[in-house]
Amino acid sequence: MEDKQVMIRVQNLKKSFGQVEVLKDVTLEVAKGEVVVLIGASGSGKSTLIRCINFLEIKNGGDILIEGKSIDPKKDDLTKVRQKVGMVFQHFNLFPHKTVLENVMEAPLIAKKADKEQTKQEALQLLQKVGLSEKADVYPSSLSGGQKQRVAIARSLAMKPEIMLFDEPTSALDPELVGEVLETMKQLAQDGMTMIIVTHEMGFAKEVADWVAFMNQGKIVEMARPEEIFNNPKEERTREFLNRVL
Amino acid sequence: MPSISHLTEEFFRTLPFFWKPLLLTFELTVASVIVGSIIGLFVALLKVSKFKLGQIIANVYIMVIRGTPLIVQIFVLYFGFYKMIDLGQFWSAALALAIHSGAYIAEIFRGSIQSIDKGQMEAGLSLGMSSSQTMRRIILPQAMKRSIPPLGNQFILSLKESSLAAFIAMDELFSLARRLSAETFDEMTYFLIVALYYLVIVMIFTYVVHRMEKRLAKGDV
Repeated sequence: MEDKQVMIRVQNLKKSFGQVEVLKDVTLEVAKGEVVVLIGASGSGKSTLIRCINFLEIKNGGDILIEGKSIDPKKDDLTKVRQKVGMVFQHFNLFPHKTVLENVMEAPLIAKKADKEQTKQEALQLLQKVGLSEKADVYPSSLSGGQKQRVAIARSLAMKPEIMLFDEPTSALDPELVGEVLETMKQLAQDGMTMIIVTHEMGFAKEVADWVAFMNQGKIVEMARPEEIFNNPKEERTREFLNRVL
Repeated sequence: MPSISHLTEEFFRTLPFFWKPLLLTFELTVASVIVGSIIGLFVALLKVSKFKLGQIIANVYIMVIRGTPLIVQIFVLYFGFYKMIDLGQFWSAALALAIHSGAYIAEIFRGSIQSIDKGQMEAGLSLGMSSSQTMRRIILPQAMKRSIPPLGNQFILSLKESSLAAFIAMDELFSLARRLSAETFDEMTYFLIVALYYLVIVMIFTYVVHRMEKRLAKGDV
C-alpha cells in the first residue's frame, strides 16, 4: 500500500469547559481524501472535537497537527490554518446582510485579498456546483434551510480548503431538505475532499464514510470501516448506541 | 397663560430671529452626535475587546459620564478646555456634548455588537478571516443596523441637551428664548414657542429615523 498523507492528526486531545471534561484523551488520524464520520450521543464531544480542529475551541491538552505541523493557537496564525480547514455549521451562519454571491466572495476578497473578477467567477461556479446559480443575488433570508446550507458549503469551498469539517450540517433542517445537502457533501467526497463529519444520518455514514468513529463520554470508543461498525461493532457501547438510533 | 392669537403673533414676529439659533442648535447636535458616535464606537470596541486595560478605560469613562450631570460636564469641559486649548465656543460646547453622548452611544453599540449571534464571528473566523476583519465586515454592519433605533433616540436626547449650551453663552434656541423673555417679561410665550421648535425638529427627525429603519430592513432574517 502506498504511503497515505496524513492531513489531520489529533493526539491525546483534552478539552474542558469549567469543571466538565468534554474531551478526554482523543486521538484521531485522517488521511488525505478520507471521509471520517463521527457518531455518538449528544454530549459525547463530537462537535467539540471538530471545533477544536478549527480552533474555535482551544484545547486544554494534547496536540493537533494539520498537515504534519503542530499548531499552537497562541503563536501560529490561525487565519492561515483555517484557510486550509473549512467548516460548515449546524445553523449555517450565513451573513444575513450580504447576498448569496457576496457571502461566497467575502472571505477570498477580504482574507486572501483575491482579485474581484476572478473571485466572482469562481463563486458563480461554486454556486452552480451546489445548484444555486439562480439564487446568486438574493439575501439568505429568502432561502430554505437546505439552500442556506448549500450556500454555506459553497462559501467554505471558496477558500479552497484542503479539509472540510461539518458540524451536524443537516440537524437543523426539515427532513425533506436533508437529502439535497447530503447529496452536495457526497459530491465533495467523490471529488476527493478530506472531510470530518459529525452527523446523525447513519445511512449517509454507511454510504460515504471511509471510517466511522463512535464517540462516547469524550472518547473515541471505536473507529472502523462503516460496514464493521454497523454490522459487527466490537464495543458493547457502540452496539447499544446503534440499537437505539437504527 | 398667553392666548393662542398672542402666541401665533409672537411666533411669526420672532420667526426671523430664530433662524440662526435654530441652525446653531442643529449644528451643535449634529457635531456632537457624529463625534459622539465615533467616541462611542471606539469605546464599545474597547469594551468588547480582550484588551483588559482598554476595558478598564472604557468602564471608567462610562461610569464618570453617567455618574455626573451634563451641565457640570459642560462647565468642566468648557472652562477646562478654554484654559488649556482654545477650541472656541462652538467646539467646546460640541465636544462636551459629544463626550457626554459618547458614553451612552458606546453602550448602544456594545449592546448591538453583543446581540449579534456568535455564530457570525465563528463563521468569519472559520473562513480564515481575522477577528478584526470579521468585526468590521460582518459584525459591525449588522450591529449598526440594530443601533439605529436607539441612536435615533440618543440623537433626540442630544438635540434637547444642546439647550444646556445656553449656559455657556451659545446663542442657540434656548438662549434666544431666554433673551426674548428677559427683554419682554413675557416668559411663558417664548418658552412655549421654543418648546414648539424643539418638538417639531424631534418629530421630523423621528420620521426620518423611522424611514431609515424601514429601508435598512432588507436582508433581515
